[in-house]
Amino acid sequence: MDGERTPSKQPPLDRDAHAEFTRVALPLLPSVARVAFALSEDQSDADDLVQETYLRALKHWNTFAPGTDCKRWLSTICRNAFYEQRRRQLRMEPTEDEQLESLAAARLHNSAVAAGVGDMFDQLDLGPAIVRAIAALDPVFRSVLILSDEEGFSYEEISEMLSIPLGTVRSRLYRGRRKLQEALLAYAVDAGLARPGRPSPTERQVKNAEPR
Amino acid sequence: MRNRAECEAVVGRLWPFLDGAIPESDRERIVGHLERCDNCSSHFAFARSFLEAVRQAKMSTDQYVSLRVRVMRSLSTRGFSESAK
Repeated sequence: MDGERTPSKQPPLDRDAHAEFTRVALPLLPSVARVAFALSEDQSDADDLVQETYLRALKHWNTFAPGTDCKRWLSTICRNAFYEQRRRQLRMEPTEDEQLESLAAARLHNSAVAAGVGDMFDQLDLGPAIVRAIAALDPVFRSVLILSDEEGFSYEEISEMLSIPLGTVRSRLYRGRRKLQEALLAYAVDAGLARPGRPSPTERQVKNAEPR
Repeated sequence: MRNRAECEAVVGRLWPFLDGAIPESDRERIVGHLERCDNCSSHFAFARSFLEAVRQAKMSTDQYVSLRVRVMRSLSTRGFSESAK
């Protein structure tokens, strides 16, 4: 009766369906992998979740409406699989004030200017450092940041995917960005990329930047 | 001349603004301020560059090759054939 719960009872997909799955769903594996990593505690769990997501996606492929957003469809499956596999205790945390976090971003910019790397995100190749720094973030912040800033989901979509209030999405996202920026600035300084006391011409105009 | 209170109010909405998550009337007010204030504008430019760097830093597709092999192997046990094109 309940075909979704009995894998052996699912109707076999025909060759065209397989071809469509290959064309539409499989190329989205990197996105699914990032969503899985956002939800999971570590890479091993994330890989397991990707595999489970694609098994479920294949099983239910006949319910996917052609032409609709397959990335979101797969992300929903991934999210459901995650919550079914692991009973997660939602952590309660105080909501950060978005204004304070935004002002903190301006202060970090001031620090970057003072360290001579006010143009760090434009001039330096921080790609590998960003990947490492995101992986090192607390999962609470990492999940929201990946879903928003790498995968482009809206606050509302993330709220639904993670089953957390909209305000919590915002506070975790802004705080995660601040932690990431702090880590990258520290990396730039530690790696000797900073040029203290030697602001570039474009940096000089913000040397006395406010608000602080 | 810069109005510090206005600068703080504008910079305090930096992230929601960059995420497109503020009302249109607020957006216009912020855009107007940024056109007049190089200082605030530089903060927004820095944050925008940061977000772009994060977007660009997504792990390359190559890094998912082994995961794809694993998924394909798993799918094939359920009768899936990638060659059915």
